[in-house]
Amino acid sequence: MYRYDEFDHQLVAERVEQFRGQVARRVAGEITEDAFKPLRLMNGVYLQLHAYMLRVAIPYGTLSSKQMRMLAHLAREYDRGYGHFTTRQNIQYNWPALDRIPDLLQELASVEMHAIQTSGNCIRNVTSDQYAGAIADEVEDPRIISEIIRQWSTFHPEFSYLPRKFKIAVTGHKNDRAAIKLHDIGIVIVKNAAGEIGYEVHVGGGQGRTPFIAKKMSDFVPAAQLLAYLEAVMRVYNMLGRRDNSYKARIKILVHETGEEEMRRLVEAEFAKIDASQMLTVPQEEIDRIAAYFAPPALQELPAASASLDAARASDTAFDHWVTTNVVSHVKPGYGIVNISLKPIGGIPGDASDAQMDVIADLAETYAQDEVRVTHEQNLVLPHVKLDDLKTVYDTLLAHGLATPNLGMISDTIACPGLDYCNLANARSIPLAQEISNRFADLDRQYDIGELKIKISGCINACGHHHVGHIGILGVDKKGTEFYQISLGGSADENASLGDITGRAFTEDDIVDAIENLVASYVDLRQGGERFIDTYRRVGMQPFKERLYAE
Amino acid sequence: MQSNRQLIKDGTLAENLWLYLEDDAALSDTASIVSLQRLEDEADTLRARNAPLGVILRAGEKQGEDVRRLAPFLDMIQLVAIEFPVYRNGRGFSSARILREELKFDGEIRATGEVLFDQWQPMARCGINAFEVDASISLDQFNQAMGEFSQAYQPASDARRGLLWQRHGK
Repeated sequence: MYRYDEFDHQLVAERVEQFRGQVARRVAGEITEDAFKPLRLMNGVYLQLHAYMLRVAIPYGTLSSKQMRMLAHLAREYDRGYGHFTTRQNIQYNWPALDRIPDLLQELASVEMHAIQTSGNCIRNVTSDQYAGAIADEVEDPRIISEIIRQWSTFHPEFSYLPRKFKIAVTGHKNDRAAIKLHDIGIVIVKNAAGEIGYEVHVGGGQGRTPFIAKKMSDFVPAAQLLAYLEAVMRVYNMLGRRDNSYKARIKILVHETGEEEMRRLVEAEFAKIDASQMLTVPQEEIDRIAAYFAPPALQELPAASASLDAARASDTAFDHWVTTNVVSHVKPGYGIVNISLKPIGGIPGDASDAQMDVIADLAETYAQDEVRVTHEQNLVLPHVKLDDLKTVYDTLLAHGLATPNLGMISDTIACPGLDYCNLANARSIPLAQEISNRFADLDRQYDIGELKIKISGCINACGHHHVGHIGILGVDKKGTEFYQISLGGSADENASLGDITGRAFTEDDIVDAIENLVASYVDLRQGGERFIDTYRRVGMQPFKERLYAE
Repeated sequence: MQSNRQLIKDGTLAENLWLYLEDDAALSDTASIVSLQRLEDEADTLRARNAPLGVILRAGEKQGEDVRRLAPFLDMIQLVAIEFPVYRNGRGFSSARILREELKFDGEIRATGEVLFDQWQPMARCGINAFEVDASISLDQFNQAMGEFSQAYQPASDARRGLLWQRHGK
């Protein structure tokens, strides 16, 4: 894991002091809420329906056990005993008191964490693959370049007041788990014919009310020039992005209105100028210095199979199911990648209590090389666990309500906070996720249905990623009543696609039956080993729609 | 410049010697800041005039004026004022860098409009060296804001090299 040097420490400490001064000026009434707003937003502090909310960055989703324990401590001391993991690999606290936030940030800084640029119209937390460094066939650990991007983008003097927020995601694997094509910039690490590392850069993806899949701007940007290329994209956006209408201000709209070809020409022209100055060419020594922090952990040489694991699976069906759904093959024989579902049946997607976070920190320290990962699907990961230890880890998780064997299943829903917390929402998301989870609680049935990604947003801003759900659900407000619109066929992976709306929206009372109806259609229509998304792509909307709206 | 404003230039309080000139106002021998449109329309007249000349880049409704339009006139202007209509419109940060780094402008770049306390330091990093600030701001406050961050991760228009390079003596 990356460790701060003296400069990183100093900058974060200076930021805390800066914010302490801003809060003091606000509390003393020297500045108005209006003037305070941009300052607090730069530090991840939102004003929600009931209270201030603080969003803490977890860069590229990687945490140490010490950091996880701090997140638990903050939940206990400053919140109501829980935290909420989000689709951008952040954690949110819903109830901190404003005057205590500087202290909270100071505690956070002591474990090399911050809330810098987790909101506001700036470059946000860089997100990445939760299996980085643990999965086979990775071109390069994506956290190396993610950390370089994190540093370059932190307090960037030119790009802190962009037309709108800006999100960058990186994957180093052909299977995209970071939804890179739904980001303002999505980066795929690739190798060219000469075996050199470079970056395929996608620009202009995003969700919200006008969703777009990103356009590929470059097939190969050499490693040392990536920052120059990114700065070129950012400058074109900052100069030409729309500022007259916040709904049209994201770079996806600029790419769409400018056209892919012209956008590429503008970026290349800017890149040529910046690159010629060499000022952003990252020294190889610095790339090496950062890469060293992400060197593979010292894992043991073990046989590929574990006799104790096989025996435990044979004698404990629930454990066997959990291993099947939640454990993924590790690049190193004898190890596994453990997914911890934060979607217990009937629970709130992404929530974890302080006690649960402490338990996960202990497990990470003892069994997983001291690492925890956060996924954009609002779950957690222990990246390096010996197969021999899986049963012990499972038993502890089970005792704390963390062993739900539903990864990728219908109850592993993404949901935004919705009307329960958010002042933008039209409808509630969490209660609906809970209802769906309860309706499909039966595990045998979930396994029969197989991979099915339901994603729920409480409004058109699409924080719950409904556009890219195999089944997407969008809360809409009609004359003061909550309705839910369904879309089908979305996907956030390397074959990213946007869902198609089925038609008329459903009431709160009908929506779960409607989901049931869609699942029944799929079960009837599927062939061979098809997943829901495969069947939908083969047969299209019509058969689903006919049955959904049949009288 | 508005009467409730003062000028801080190159880190000290400075007397404002410049007049913002409306497009229909007559030219005089006072140091004057004209619009980009007027600069383009009356370039020959302005070039023949015997007094310092500045230009303001207006933020506009949708996109703001393009700093690169100044390229043919750089030899005749001593000041570029960049308008920041509201704090959240950060387009001028890019305009300033393009002026300094691409167009190699070495005159005064002045920030005017709504510019907040915490924006002065990043503006300075982008090459802005003069600030029209509220008259209530003391030089101490200004310098405190300019020193909020002792280091920078990335290079910009100023002398700071960026930590990614500095760590290796580059």
